[in-house]
Amino acid sequence: MPRRRIYNPLTELLAAVLLVVLVLVVDRWEFSLAVLLLGVLPAVLLSGRPRQIGLVIALVAGPLLLSSLLLHGLFFPEGTTVLADLGVARVTVEGLTFAALMGLRMTVFTAVLLTAAATLDLPDLLATMTHRGWNRKLVFVVGSAVGLIPHVAERAHRITRAQQARGLVVGRGPLSRMRALLTVLTPLVIGLLVDASERTRMLEARGFSSPGPRSSYLPDSDTPRQRRTRRAMVAAVGVFSAAWLVGAP
Amino acid sequence: MSSSLTLASDPAVRRPRRLLIVLGAALIAATYVFLVVVQPAEIAGGVGSTASLVSLFGFLGGGALLVGGILPMLSTSSLVIMPLGIALNIAIGQIAGSLGMQIYLDAIGTVLVAVLAGPAAGAATGAISNAVWGLFNPLALPFAAGAALIGLLAGLAARYGAFRRVYFAPVAGLVVGAVGGLVAAPVAVFMFGAAGTFGTNAIIAVFRSMGDKLLVAATKQGLLSDSLDKIVVFVIVALIVYALPPRAVRQFPFARTYRVLGTRTGTGTGSADGGTAGMSATGSSTGDAADSRRTPTRGNDAGVA
Repeated sequence: MPRRRIYNPLTELLAAVLLVVLVLVVDRWEFSLAVLLLGVLPAVLLSGRPRQIGLVIALVAGPLLLSSLLLHGLFFPEGTTVLADLGVARVTVEGLTFAALMGLRMTVFTAVLLTAAATLDLPDLLATMTHRGWNRKLVFVVGSAVGLIPHVAERAHRITRAQQARGLVVGRGPLSRMRALLTVLTPLVIGLLVDASERTRMLEARGFSSPGPRSSYLPDSDTPRQRRTRRAMVAAVGVFSAAWLVGAP
Repeated sequence: MSSSLTLASDPAVRRPRRLLIVLGAALIAATYVFLVVVQPAEIAGGVGSTASLVSLFGFLGGGALLVGGILPMLSTSSLVIMPLGIALNIAIGQIAGSLGMQIYLDAIGTVLVAVLAGPAAGAATGAISNAVWGLFNPLALPFAAGAALIGLLAGLAARYGAFRRVYFAPVAGLVVGAVGGLVAAPVAVFMFGAAGTFGTNAIIAVFRSMGDKLLVAATKQGLLSDSLDKIVVFVIVALIVYALPPRAVRQFPFARTYRVLGTRTGTGTGSADGGTAGMSATGSSTGDAADSRRTPTRGNDAGVA
């Protein structure tokens, strides 16, 4: 069951971004690991759907970690302490250390932001942006892009099946793949553009390009207290980062 | 349909905020210069936190300023196809990434928007696209400025005639891809240690085994992959826009004014009643019958502009 929402999405997103900033500023593996184990892990477990979020994090960060380990573990010409010489490739301690440190940082970066994004209530975020007076064109573009993505994927799937029914076979060669891509993309884009032109007329008819403030159907879940908290968080992280970076050797 | 029938238009709303655009471009350029000139020594010794902070904030902040400056000047028809471009970028980029390909194919939507609606819309599409993609895949987030640059350059290429012949498109793609690769390489190195897909990492591994530094190897890989990627993307987009019904292209003032597709884009007056040309005028053998939702009956619509 999804958890009950306590904070405004903007506050949650900002907290995640500031946490990433702190990880980058402090730049110690102990701190990164602590954030991962004490911050991200409980948040995922309490999110109400830990399995899905865990899977998404593993799918995004996993391949990257593996490829980083292969790249730096085997090919790190700056490394001097050689563990195994495999001819072209050399396994070095420095390479493995670099891969581990980079891997940890990437995992924290991915896990923090993905956890925040996966538990995000997007309509609520867009409503908050409208209530806070953000650029309405930005709100429109972001909102309708997020809404369009599943629609585009579903439509592409349907066109692919229609083309397959007409005899489309995707071969292994790059030319064959590109032809297959084009046979799906062309009708997809034409259909989407026709839809878009209709939407343009509808939006114009409803005064989309007229100036003035906008209202939102969703109530404002933001509070003055959360706004103050957000400002305080930014200020605190800013001051801490400056002090840390100046004080660091 | 004009909104001025009901509400007074406000010319100030359409004016681009030049200061924001200049600041954004300057911030991106300064970040790039800082990363390339100052930092290469640091990455070999450690993972370099300052460099990653600078690359994250310089490129993201620059992209945000650019978007803030560009959005007020865009017309509704440009704004409406931007989500379409963003959705295409993410849907196709996600597939290409999960297949472990050596190219990314995540700029088809950006280039399409840039060709139809101009460099400003292309740049905004690129930047917002990576920001939205960041909600599903945070690794895309730091590349927002590079994506904006691709959109800007693709729009400029279209404006100066790179799409008037299909065979010009790969040349423009090569140039745009090379610039894009140069800009993306430091981000990949300082944020993620140049780790990408297995395909791109294999190329970096080849250069590393020859003894190149990480930034040099990633830049060479970026030049190779991005150029190839953008050649493919530009050719795909050129083939798509040539298969579009003329009236679908003519609804975009940019494509009309600069005759992006040469004589096919019309004479510049761009009247909406060109719609009588119908959908079948350019129907390629691939696009014709596939999507039953394409509804040829729409050729009877009053007009699209």
